[in-house]
Amino acid sequence: MSGGGEKPELIINGKRLDGRGATDLRSLKIEPNVIKNAAGSAYVEWGNNKIIAAVHGPKEALPKHTSDPEKAVIKCRYMMAPFSSLEGHGRTGPNRRSIEISKVTKEVFENVVMLELFPGTEIDIYVEVLQGDGGTRAAGITAAAVAMALSGIPMTDVPYAVSAGKIGETVVLDLNMIEDNYSDADMPVAVKPLTNETLLLQMDGSFTKEQFKEAMEMILESGKKIHEIQAAAIKRPYQEIIERYER
Amino acid sequence: MQRIVIPGEKISDTPVRMHNTLINNGKTYSTIVGLYSDEKSTLIPLEGLWNPAYGDTAVGVIEEDRLNTYNVNLNSPYKGLLISKFVQEQLNKGDVVEASVKELDKTQTVVLMRPRKLSGGKIFSITPSKVPRVLGKGNNMLKELSASTKSSIIVGHNGVVWIKGGNMQLAMDAILRIQEEAHTTGLTDRIKEMLSKGN
Repeated sequence: MSGGGEKPELIINGKRLDGRGATDLRSLKIEPNVIKNAAGSAYVEWGNNKIIAAVHGPKEALPKHTSDPEKAVIKCRYMMAPFSSLEGHGRTGPNRRSIEISKVTKEVFENVVMLELFPGTEIDIYVEVLQGDGGTRAAGITAAAVAMALSGIPMTDVPYAVSAGKIGETVVLDLNMIEDNYSDADMPVAVKPLTNETLLLQMDGSFTKEQFKEAMEMILESGKKIHEIQAAAIKRPYQEIIERYER
Repeated sequence: MQRIVIPGEKISDTPVRMHNTLINNGKTYSTIVGLYSDEKSTLIPLEGLWNPAYGDTAVGVIEEDRLNTYNVNLNSPYKGLLISKFVQEQLNKGDVVEASVKELDKTQTVVLMRPRKLSGGKIFSITPSKVPRVLGKGNNMLKELSASTKSSIIVGHNGVVWIKGGNMQLAMDAILRIQEEAHTTGLTDRIKEMLSKGN
């Protein structure tokens, strides 16, 4: 996604376009259990991103040839709504980009969900982007992790994802759409917070070795905050009922 | 003191072998959203799926009448199977049956035994992990429910509930309330109060 044309100045006096510093996250809000018909669901507002994630299953894998007698299979559909962005992503149904993001999201969850408990079944993850503003794959994974935990499917950890990038020679965290279009590097990373194992790492552009290290440190540091918000969102529906009776 | 844990949250510094946990480097981690009690060292799932075990009661709907078997929809990842030889009465597609689990075979099929046809009534489903709370200790909650609403109620471990007769609406409301508030204390008293008010 190259911006083309003249490069606008994205960092002025150490502040980014939306007033953030280099290591600041955009505001993140997670609403649990928004879809009644899904086993688990979550709605995420991450800056201007608005994303709904829902998890269905496990259920019998259909068509039959997709099933695995050893473990469950995960099927993921990431989709941008036709009205979600200025660039017309998703206006023509599944495309190269959405198929790619579906695949990487699926692979993140294949490494945390305990698939061997449900042989021959499928687990569906749906990520719908209502409004996109850069970093939707990271926000989608973060939302889907909350939805997966709420569905009751055993998993080893609740992963989170966030992107880091480079504007000029400055490493910055959590790029928005404009920064992403004109940045020199963009790297979404998904992490298992318990062990800090990397589940997803993609990169556009280039980092030097030192910049990459700096970016990873930023991601792991901000991840603590993201994971806290996820944990609070998962616990909230139960906490509310407990508080109603035990004051 | 009970606390809510999420997948990947550490519940103990020592390895404790129990359901829905994972032992890593000598420490125990939860794999589900659950209620963990430090003193009793129990992890009760708040959301979860049904693990079929021998003797579990299952309520299902006949989906297909095959030559020697009936396929039963159990509202779970597992298929239900009834062998016609052991069925006393004629069953048709759409009939509701109660049966107990004989085994979970290698193809993830729940083989059922001792079926009983349930005619009339209504079925609805709840989260399977909340079934023990609906039944109560020694089925006390269920006895209380059917005594005060005068309904016949059968709760399957797969989360499907069948009710017939009496004050069906009240029974249903009570069961759905138990599902919602299963992880709170003093639930039995609140349900008793609700039932006595409802009548």
